[in-house]
Amino acid sequence: MLPGIDPYTTLGIAKDASQEDIKAAYRRVARRLHPDVNQNNPGAAEQFQDITAAYELLMDADRKQSHDSQVIKRATTAGENYNFTLRVTPSKRAVIPLPEPQVIYLLAEILPDPRARDQEQKRESRLNLTLVLDHSNSMNGTRLDKVKVAAHQIIDQMTKDDILSIISFNDRAEVIIAATPVDNKHALKAKVSMMNASGGTEIFKGLSAGVEQNRRFLGPKLVNHIVLLTDGNTFGDHEKCIELARTAAEQGISISAMGLGQEWNDDFLDSLASTTGGTSSYINSASAVIRFLNDHVRNLSNAFAERVRLSIAPDPDVKLESAFKHAPHPQPLTTGEGFIQLGSLQANRLISVLLQFQMPANMSMGFRSIARLVAAGDILSNQQQQFQGLSDISLEITDNPPAEDPPIAILDALGKLTLYRMQERAQEALASGDVREATRRLENLATRLLAIGEEDLAHQARAEARRVAHTSNLSDKGRKTLKYQTRYLLLGASSEDTSQ
Amino acid sequence: MMICPYCGYKNREGVMFCEECGQGLKAEVANAVLPTRQLETASPNQAARATWGTARFGQDASIIIHIRDATEPVVLQPAKKTVLGRSDTSSPQKPDLDLTPFGALEKGVSRIHAAIYRSEDTLTLVDMGSANGTHLNGQRLVPDQPRILRDGDEIRLGKLVAHVYFK
Repeated sequence: MLPGIDPYTTLGIAKDASQEDIKAAYRRVARRLHPDVNQNNPGAAEQFQDITAAYELLMDADRKQSHDSQVIKRATTAGENYNFTLRVTPSKRAVIPLPEPQVIYLLAEILPDPRARDQEQKRESRLNLTLVLDHSNSMNGTRLDKVKVAAHQIIDQMTKDDILSIISFNDRAEVIIAATPVDNKHALKAKVSMMNASGGTEIFKGLSAGVEQNRRFLGPKLVNHIVLLTDGNTFGDHEKCIELARTAAEQGISISAMGLGQEWNDDFLDSLASTTGGTSSYINSASAVIRFLNDHVRNLSNAFAERVRLSIAPDPDVKLESAFKHAPHPQPLTTGEGFIQLGSLQANRLISVLLQFQMPANMSMGFRSIARLVAAGDILSNQQQQFQGLSDISLEITDNPPAEDPPIAILDALGKLTLYRMQERAQEALASGDVREATRRLENLATRLLAIGEEDLAHQARAEARRVAHTSNLSDKGRKTLKYQTRYLLLGASSEDTSQ
Repeated sequence: MMICPYCGYKNREGVMFCEECGQGLKAEVANAVLPTRQLETASPNQAARATWGTARFGQDASIIIHIRDATEPVVLQPAKKTVLGRSDTSSPQKPDLDLTPFGALEKGVSRIHAAIYRSEDTLTLVDMGSANGTHLNGQRLVPDQPRILRDGDEIRLGKLVAHVYFK
């Protein structure tokens, strides 16, 4: 159990709870999270360990006392402590029991401490940044030039408190700048300027060299981040890359992936980034590289908390179906591991994740729990960095639920997420060889896009529908545009205001 | 179970947007838009016109649209872009020229059917990806490809026929 985590909160009890209260609280939660009733529910397994650790601590009189006195000491010496809030909104608060499974959505938002926003300027977080740049043959010319300009600007943005390393890779990896504090900017820039385009693309080589450099200065007070920029596809080393990313994430490194042009593998970069809580972006023109990279690094240096993850333990009879982060950067998330890496929480923007659950048929009347959500992360400016927020979601099952409108935020996010899902399903249909189905789905998508006023994207969808009908294939460009543009539609849906 | 009124897909209870076609399912969600009626294949082409009117469209000119079966012609000063279509109470996009009074729904006019673009001294007609197509002088337009509009041209949106004159 992590030192910063409050065992009282974990068990959901008051500080002065009696032994009986503690036991009762433990039994209540354990019944839901116990591995015996939860097969294939890694989130529950993880949370079960936490509550057991909390229970053991509180049942041991000595440890309980030392914990309590430490908390008091910390409160008096550590000065101001920041925290974040986990706010969870269900799509309905009361549901009718049905003889068939039904769906419920939860909107989980992680909000930074409002006090942190005022001090944003003062407390720039320190970066441990690694750029892993593709310099294969295809990057020759404008692309590589723009990347160099972007790298120069990033060096300018950084201070001597920040750590930078740069790797360039083709079929081999070369350390251009070994991890170092950014003090001699001219020398660093000169090294960047020497990059030449040649060779093929082997992402694993570059990535592993990048992880190695980043590890040298890896620290809890830093934003440890790797940016991978590539314009090509790598062959045969996807699995190795994802495995590497997973290990890196466990050590506290997040990875963002940027794909330039049309040839790179979007599924691969998406899963690479979402494994670590990073972001993946599609950069459609060389000139946009500079803006993308600069914005990205600026956001990083505005981090309030790092290594944020959301652990999701649905009740034994409830199933988590999908998760999608729609702020600050829209990204589909993998749910297989019971937790989601969310990367960094910025001081002025919330993280918001939409979760879809399936509830069982024939639920019995009364209140029942749906899922237990725990958001954990390291707050950079706190002495005791680890912090976690907890939310236990319950619904009322009743024959006559009060009329309620679904929350606007969920409705809006879902409406736009639906568009993203539609293009996804069109691609699935195409992958399984059903050309007619794919065409139909793309046409549906075009209609929906037009209805919300996204004319250009609607045209693109229709053009791709025609292309599919004739050639049974999407163009690389159209496919990526539809995928990433429908995803970006979600940006408008998220509420950027953290003050509400 | 909730059956999507638009495509008939069977969604599970609680789903807010049809998992098949993306339409909102609940009353408060659904932008209760009537889908454009799919018509049978278009009627046979009419004979090509013998003479062509002018394509020149002056600064202060306006267009007069005679819609078949309508008593009064529609006169309008086209802006840079004029969208022809069928307005719908809950569709967020309103056409500039609403054809509902002329039986647009029955005649298969899409909500956003076609647009007239105004450039320096010409007008072009563009099909906006309508369900039943836009015909100019009997020829079906390829969606998104502008075609020059001339004085006296016949345009057909779905089954709604109109003649366009410059003034």
